[in-house]
Amino acid sequence: MSRKSFPYKPSGGDLRDLEQPGYYAGYSTLAQKKHWEAATRELVTHRVDKTPSTIRFFSQEEADVLTAIIDRLMPQDDRASMRTISVLPVIDERLFTNSLNGFRYEDMPSDREAYRLGINAINEMALSRFDQSFIGLPVHRQELILKSLHDGKPDPEHPTWQRMPVHRFWALLMEDCVTAYYSHPWAWDEIGFGGPAYPRGYMRLEHGLPEPWEKDEQRYEWNAPADSLSELDEEGAPPEHSSLHGHGGTH
Amino acid sequence: MPHRLGPMQTLPSPMQRFADSDPVDYCIVGAGSAGGVLAQRLARAGFRVVALEAGPFWDTEKDWVSDEKGSHELYWNDLRITGGTHPLALGSNNSGKGVGGGSVHWAAFTPRLHPSDFRVYTQDGVGADWPISYWDLKPYYELLERELPVAGPAWFPWGDPHGHPYGPHPLGGVGDVLVRGCTKLGLRSVAGGPVGILSASHGDRPHCIYRGFCLQGCKVGAKASTLITHVPDAIRHGAEIRAHAMVARINLRNDGRVDGVVYIDREGKEHFQRARAVIVSAYSIETPRLLLNSACTGHRHGLANSSGTVGKYLMAQAGNVVAGRFDQLIRLYKAPPAHALTEEFYETDKSRDFARGFAVQTVGPLPVAFAKQMVAAMGAWGWGLRRVMMDYNHWAAFGVLGEILPWQDNCVELAEEKDQYGLQVAKVTFNLHDNDKKLIEFAKNKVMEIMSAAGAKHVVQEARFAHLVGAARMGNDPSTSVVDKFGRTHDIPNLFVCDGSILPTQGSANPGLTIQALAARTADYLIKQGENIFFSNRRDLSEPGIRYDLSPPYTHFRGNPRIA
Repeated sequence: MSRKSFPYKPSGGDLRDLEQPGYYAGYSTLAQKKHWEAATRELVTHRVDKTPSTIRFFSQEEADVLTAIIDRLMPQDDRASMRTISVLPVIDERLFTNSLNGFRYEDMPSDREAYRLGINAINEMALSRFDQSFIGLPVHRQELILKSLHDGKPDPEHPTWQRMPVHRFWALLMEDCVTAYYSHPWAWDEIGFGGPAYPRGYMRLEHGLPEPWEKDEQRYEWNAPADSLSELDEEGAPPEHSSLHGHGGTH
Repeated sequence: MPHRLGPMQTLPSPMQRFADSDPVDYCIVGAGSAGGVLAQRLARAGFRVVALEAGPFWDTEKDWVSDEKGSHELYWNDLRITGGTHPLALGSNNSGKGVGGGSVHWAAFTPRLHPSDFRVYTQDGVGADWPISYWDLKPYYELLERELPVAGPAWFPWGDPHGHPYGPHPLGGVGDVLVRGCTKLGLRSVAGGPVGILSASHGDRPHCIYRGFCLQGCKVGAKASTLITHVPDAIRHGAEIRAHAMVARINLRNDGRVDGVVYIDREGKEHFQRARAVIVSAYSIETPRLLLNSACTGHRHGLANSSGTVGKYLMAQAGNVVAGRFDQLIRLYKAPPAHALTEEFYETDKSRDFARGFAVQTVGPLPVAFAKQMVAAMGAWGWGLRRVMMDYNHWAAFGVLGEILPWQDNCVELAEEKDQYGLQVAKVTFNLHDNDKKLIEFAKNKVMEIMSAAGAKHVVQEARFAHLVGAARMGNDPSTSVVDKFGRTHDIPNLFVCDGSILPTQGSANPGLTIQALAARTADYLIKQGENIFFSNRRDLSEPGIRYDLSPPYTHFRGNPRIA
C-alpha cells in the first residue's frame, strides 16, 4: 500500500527496497519460531501471514486518506514492498470490533468518532491550505500539515480541533500506528528485539550480549530523507503530552 | 488438555459449585490480589466461599502469549471515563480482568511500605494516618513474602530493614545501569529484587527464565499471581472461583444487612447469589463503582457511604519514565523489568520543599511500550521514530515511583454512560496538587541525574502515573472513612471491602504486596470472629492474632533470612 514517492536522498547509500532495515542484518525472530510455544507461534505467524485485507470500518475514501497519513507517520519507503508492515488494516480491525483500551478521556469522543473526525479534518485542512486533497499533495506538504498537528498548532485551523484536543488525537493515532508496526516480527528484526523466548529464555543478561541465535549490532550511517520534517529534533523540547492512551504498565 | 496454571500446575478438579440459591458464607467480588488470598484463607478455615470474577479463568498455556499486542485481554478494557487536570490512563496501565486480576500483569516489585507511611498526617501534617501501624502489618508482610515467595537481596536497607526468602536474581542490563548511576552519586541501591518472581524452582513452579514478558502474564509460572499462588489452594479446600460473573449490585435487606449480590453471566443472564456476608475486592475503580451502583432506599448515595467518602481520595503514584541512550548495547528486554531500585529519597526531607518522597526503579518496556514512550518523551514520529527505535537496544529506562497524597477531589463517580451490562460506568477525576507537582519535578530531575551519572548520552522523560489505590479508605472515624481497620464497612456489619481501595495513603512502594498482606490480616480477623459476622452487629476491634497454619503448600518457612 505504501506510496513510494518520497524524494529519497540518503547520504549513507541507497536505502530502498530493503528486505530488512536496521542494524541486525541476517537476524530473524521468525526463524526461531520452532522454539516458541504453540499459542505464541500461532498468534505471531497468523499476524504475518493473514493480515486482514478487507476494510470494514472505514469507508474507501477514509481508508485512502488514512493510508496517506500513515505513510507519513510510520513511513516504510525504505522497505521492499513485499516486506511492508500493514498498519491500516490493524487499526480498521480494532475499530470495527470496537476493541477499547479501557478508557476514554472526558474531552474526547469515542475512538471511532475521533478517527472519522480527524481524517476528515486533515483532508479539509489540505484543501483549505493547498487547494488539493491530502492524498494528492506532495509529501512535503503532507508533512507540513501533520507536523502542525504534532506541534499542537493546527495550520490551518479547523473546527474539529475545538471539539477534540489535537494532542490527544495525535497520541491516539501514533499509538495505534506503533502498536501495529512494532508488534510485527519484521520490526523486531529491524530493532534487534529478541521476540518471544518461552520456553527457552535468555542466558546472557548483561552487557547487551546477543544470545547464540541473536545477532550483534552492525551499525552503518542511516539517514532519513534529507528534507523530511519528521526527523528527530534533538534540541527542541518535546510537547508535554502527559499520560497518553493505554501504555502497558511499566512498574 | 487439562486447564493449566503455569506449565506444571493444573486446575484442581472437581471444583466446588454452589447454587445461586445456596447461601454461601462469603461471596467475594473479584478474584484478584486480595480476593485470591481471602478465598484461600477462608476456604482453609472451613467457610463456604465463592469468588465472583468478571473476567475469564485463565488457562496459562492456551490463553497467554509472549507478545505485547496479544496480551490485550489481560486488562480491564471496558469503558471508563477519565478526566481532571491530570487524567489517568487506565486499562493496561493499572487494571486487570480475569482470575488473578492485576497480579497477572504486575511487574511484581514487592517492597514493603515504610513505618512512616502509616503516620503521614502525624509526621508531616498532610494526607492521613492509618488506623494500624507498620508493626501490625509486619508479620503479614513476612508471611506473604514467603507465600509468593519473594526473591531479593539479603539486606534491604530502607524502612524496616529486612531480608528475603529467595536469593536475588542475576543482574540484567538495566539493573546494571541503575546500580552504576546510583553508585556514582553515592546512593545505595539494591538489585535482583525484591520481586515476587522465583529465582529457584518452588513446589510446582519453575524459576524465572529472564525472557522479560512479566507484564504480559508470566507463562513460565515464575512470577507470583494469585492465579497460581493462592487460587489452586483455595479450590483444593472447597472454594468456588466463578469466572465471567460481573457483579452488578449488592443487595441490602430491610434489617440493614446484605444478603447477596446480583451478577451477570457471560450470556448476559442475571443471577442472584445468596451470601451471609459479602467482601468487595474489585480494586480502586470497580469497588467504589459497585458500592455507588448499589444505591437503594436508605442508601441513596451508595452502600456504605454515610461518610460520603466512597470513591474519594483515589490515588495513583507518580510514574514518570526516564529513558537514557548509551553508546554500548543494553538490550533492556532481557531480565524482569522489575529488577533494581533505590529508596534513598523515600522519606520526607526537610531540605526539600515538599512532603514525602519517591523510589527509583528499573522498568523494561518491550518494543510497543517503548515506542509509545518515545512518541511521548521525544515527540517522535515518522522517520525520527523509525530511527530512534532502531536504537532500541541502546536504551535503558527507569521509573519514578512517587507518593501522591490523598485528595478529596481525586475520585471515582458514576458517569451517565453505560457499559455492555447496562451499568453506569466509572468516571475518574485526577488532579495534581502543589505538593505532588513539586515532588514530581524533583523526582524526575533526580532520576534523570542518575541516568546521566550512569553514562547515558541522551536522557528523556515522559510524565505518567502508575498503580491505583484508595477510594474506599479505612479509618477509625466513620464520618471520614468507609471501612474500619479490618475492612468492615462502618455502615453495614456484614459488608467488607478488602483490596487496594482501603489504603489511606500509598507511600512510594508498589501496592501489590501490601494489598495481599492486608487481605491475609482481614482473613484472620474474619476467621477469629467466626459466626458472629453472620449474626451479630457488634463490632469487635480486638486484634485476631496471626495464623501461620493457613499458608499454601511449600510456603511454611520459619522466617525471612537476613543479615542483621
